Amino acid sequence: MATQTAVRSRIAVSATVQRVSAAVILAGVSAWLIWNLIAAPAQFFTVGIQGLSNGALYALIALGYTLVYGIIELINFAHGDLFMLGTLFSAWILTKLLQQTSPSMGGFLWFVATLLGAMVFCSAINVAIEFFAYRRLRKAPKLAPLITAVGVSFILQFIGLSWNGSGPKNWNTVLPDHDYMFFGVTVNSQALIVLGVTLPLLGLMTFIVSRTRAGKAMRATAQDQDAARLMGINVNRTISFTFAMGGALAGAAGVMYQQTVGTTNYNLGFQLGLIAFTSAVLGGIGSLPGAVLGGLLIGVIQGLNDGLPHGLGQKWSQSVVFTILILLMVFKPAGLFGSNAVEKV
Amino acid sequence: MTDAIRATDITVSFGGLVAVNAVTFTVPERSVVSLIGPNGAGKTTFFNVLTGLYKPDSGVVEFQDRDVTGLPPHRIAEAGLARTFQNIRLFGLMTAEENVMVAMHSQLKAGVIATLLRTRVQKREEAQARDRARELLDFVGISHTRDEYARNLSYGDQRRLEVARALALQPKVLLLDEPTAGMNPQESARFVEFIYRLREERDTAVLLIEHDMSVVMRVSERITVLDRGEKIAEGTAEQVRSDTRVIEAYLGTGAAGSAGL
Amino acid sequence: MALLKPTRPGPAIATDRKWALSFAVGVVGIFLGYQFVVPHLPYQVASFVDDWLPLTALNEASVYVILALGLNIVVGYAGLLDLGFVAFWAIGGYVVGWLMSGFFDSARVNILGHPPIGLPNGVHISFWLVLLIAGAFCALWGVIIGWPTLRLKSDYLALVTLGFGEIIPQVFVNGEDINGFNLSNGSKGITPVDGIDLFGKLLGPFDLAFKFLIYAGIAAFVVLLSLRLREGRLGRAWLAIREDELAASMMGVPLRKTKLAAYAVGAFSGGLGGAAFATQVNGVFAERFNFSISIILLAMVVLGGMGNVWGVIIGALVLAWINSTGLVQFGQTFNNAFGTQINFPSYNFLLFGIILILMMLFRREGLIPERRTKLLLREPERGQMTALGAEAELVAAEEAIHTQTDPPSEGKLATQTDDAGMGVDAPQSGDSTEGGRS
Repeated sequence: MATQTAVRSRIAVSATVQRVSAAVILAGVSAWLIWNLIAAPAQFFTVGIQGLSNGALYALIALGYTLVYGIIELINFAHGDLFMLGTLFSAWILTKLLQQTSPSMGGFLWFVATLLGAMVFCSAINVAIEFFAYRRLRKAPKLAPLITAVGVSFILQFIGLSWNGSGPKNWNTVLPDHDYMFFGVTVNSQALIVLGVTLPLLGLMTFIVSRTRAGKAMRATAQDQDAARLMGINVNRTISFTFAMGGALAGAAGVMYQQTVGTTNYNLGFQLGLIAFTSAVLGGIGSLPGAVLGGLLIGVIQGLNDGLPHGLGQKWSQSVVFTILILLMVFKPAGLFGSNAVEKV
Repeated sequence: MTDAIRATDITVSFGGLVAVNAVTFTVPERSVVSLIGPNGAGKTTFFNVLTGLYKPDSGVVEFQDRDVTGLPPHRIAEAGLARTFQNIRLFGLMTAEENVMVAMHSQLKAGVIATLLRTRVQKREEAQARDRARELLDFVGISHTRDEYARNLSYGDQRRLEVARALALQPKVLLLDEPTAGMNPQESARFVEFIYRLREERDTAVLLIEHDMSVVMRVSERITVLDRGEKIAEGTAEQVRSDTRVIEAYLGTGAAGSAGL
Repeated sequence: MALLKPTRPGPAIATDRKWALSFAVGVVGIFLGYQFVVPHLPYQVASFVDDWLPLTALNEASVYVILALGLNIVVGYAGLLDLGFVAFWAIGGYVVGWLMSGFFDSARVNILGHPPIGLPNGVHISFWLVLLIAGAFCALWGVIIGWPTLRLKSDYLALVTLGFGEIIPQVFVNGEDINGFNLSNGSKGITPVDGIDLFGKLLGPFDLAFKFLIYAGIAAFVVLLSLRLREGRLGRAWLAIREDELAASMMGVPLRKTKLAAYAVGAFSGGLGGAAFATQVNGVFAERFNFSISIILLAMVVLGGMGNVWGVIIGALVLAWINSTGLVQFGQTFNNAFGTQINFPSYNFLLFGIILILMMLFRREGLIPERRTKLLLREPERGQMTALGAEAELVAAEEAIHTQTDPPSEGKLATQTDDAGMGVDAPQSGDSTEGGRS
């Protein structure tokens, strides 16, 4: 029957369109990458490694988004601002209070201490936010907690505004700033430190999620809250724990950002938050390895866009990332590793 | 006489799980047929394929010889298939009248400009829609709830409202998904009467998914039984009642001997 | 069958008429007051008025009203959480910048326009035509922005609209040199723009009261548009989608078209507001369009009551005033009285954040709720359903069994929650259920 095949192919077409467009975009991006690689290889790798280091920070923040979304299906709008508060914590404690303004052995130890301090600090704030603002709205229709999250974001930005002023502030760092040369490629010591801190953190997090009871509780609650509750899991505590973990990662990222990039600004969270969220979506929202991979990818893409001759330059940086987000949402909302998050229209 | 619905070889799987396995099923025009089966048999999944919610992995769905496989739900509604829901899905914060009028959306023509300007055509159209809505509410017996928010209605009235809303689509086939859930025997009996009225007065076929066997047996011209995604029996109430496979599906293997369905 | 307490939605038309009357009276009163009375007031009174309720603030607030009403259609009626509405403010403004100034000075177009004397270059079209063009152009962009969101859940939808709300202003900020073409003059903006012609009189920078009248008139038009559409089939379709998108589609509502219509009509209104604003500030400046404006608009809709046109108007007026004048004046008075140096205007972030949170936690239906929304955003109340106890258990049990094969029961603001197995009396949250339903 002709109509039968016509309909069959119509169904198949939309799926094919999706796959084809995803492939085309991927091909386009790859082509652009290769083009740049050939044009300036040393620069490509230099910028790429820097991008990787930025990407590590994005990954840490992205994990916070994906952890929370996985467990209560809420985009914690305020998460980026939590990261911003982490940068402020670092600025005021490490640089201002402890006056660690140049590299030193003791300074590095203080850096580690601040790292832990910020993780606790942001963790606590995140848990408090969940408790006061989101918990009551857990069963409410999605619009409500989403709007609330936006409100929380505004309040955190206000705190940032009061704490840090309306303009950016620059800070000296306690981390050594050497450029090492490998075969014409410049690698900065700070990038190495960022990667050196991030990787163990990721490992620790993976361990917690996959091996510990708390982690199991998280995964169970993420799958089916009611069933988890019936199995004796304290859902409230598990959710708080998830927020705590996300907060800790954001805090760590904040400290490292303040020490490597060296600026603080009250609206930093908003900008980087969107980038980190795009990373989470790219990797597949709900997928932890996806968030990491997404973060690294976006970091690299952004670095290349900003730093390379054939990129659009920094003033288009945000637009590039947002365009990636939009394209993802349209063509491949599941991202690389995620489950299908789209509802049928 | 054409079939109102003809579904051929429908297969639906979710990941590795095959929910519906090559099921062929028809609803003759102006008939009353039922689809039964133990829980998990795939009835609702099959239903959802008919209404356009799921696309089947393979198979064809035709309405009066027109291929509608894979069309979006609103097109299938336009084509003449209306349904009610197992767990009532009314638009709680719209009045009963508005609920019914929503279903007339595809039959109304007024666009943004006409609505903005309240043209004579638009006003007339709205008035007609309102009249039809009232008539439908009256048909199902809930005229008094016309201006009530749907969410405030009693359970029974909500069920009726769902039917009225579905009827607003002027469907060729009305799919009722467990319509007597939660009804006591008197209400179920009234409901059976109602189905007869539907067929007589509204010229629509009825496809019923039901667990209440007394209703099914009384009202159906033909019963189809699904079990684990497959059609295991089809026929009159008498035939199905004494079919061994059916008995076993419901009561377990070996129960065929002592069954008293 | 139990006799239900009649909880009728009430004669909505009569209430609307009352509000419309108040609105009209208020507008005329304000116009007459500022045009004829204020210039003759004694100095003390006049400067008090000028401090606390200057006409510029009122005009700006009116523009916010227009935009908030537009957002109300998208968020309030159709339930689509658009976080990038500022984009339409920007686009509307730039349409004025392009079509009512000397910006494109290599051209010389004049359609009922009023170029400055001696400077005929550029494109100069009458404000009233430009208004329509801005609306239509924004409607087109509304469709473009809305299209990628059609299949998305509310969270993702919000993010995508947010993304557009960032990209579009950034395009304008960077727009001085897009491959050599000057789209927007970058951060310099486009200024000045032509005046509005009102019955032969060309409004200048001191004709603020007349401009107020015009902006209020535009707002009135958007109110009319909102109310009429809501009473018609499109409004029903929007509310149905907001409640239960799936059921709506199965009742014949074409989801894509209806959602796009919401975006288009909302964006159209946004464009009107953006165009109006450009005439108020005599230009369009890219740096003004940032994300916080989208949130302020959202706060206005939330505060006023999602879907309630009159509530949104009040919410918009109040918040706009607080943002532009209230905080400043209150701050000065407070600081003068107590010798402090608190920077009150910087507290607006805090204010809007708190408003959003408190409203969502305690009064989701808004200060003046559309009767519907009050019930929509709270828990499903089980009280009224007479024999619901048994039915709920049965339905829930069947639901649990059917979860594999049921259609996903989430609508945008689904009225059926998946509280499988929860008893009738189980309190879900701390929300107080008010005694009667209105």
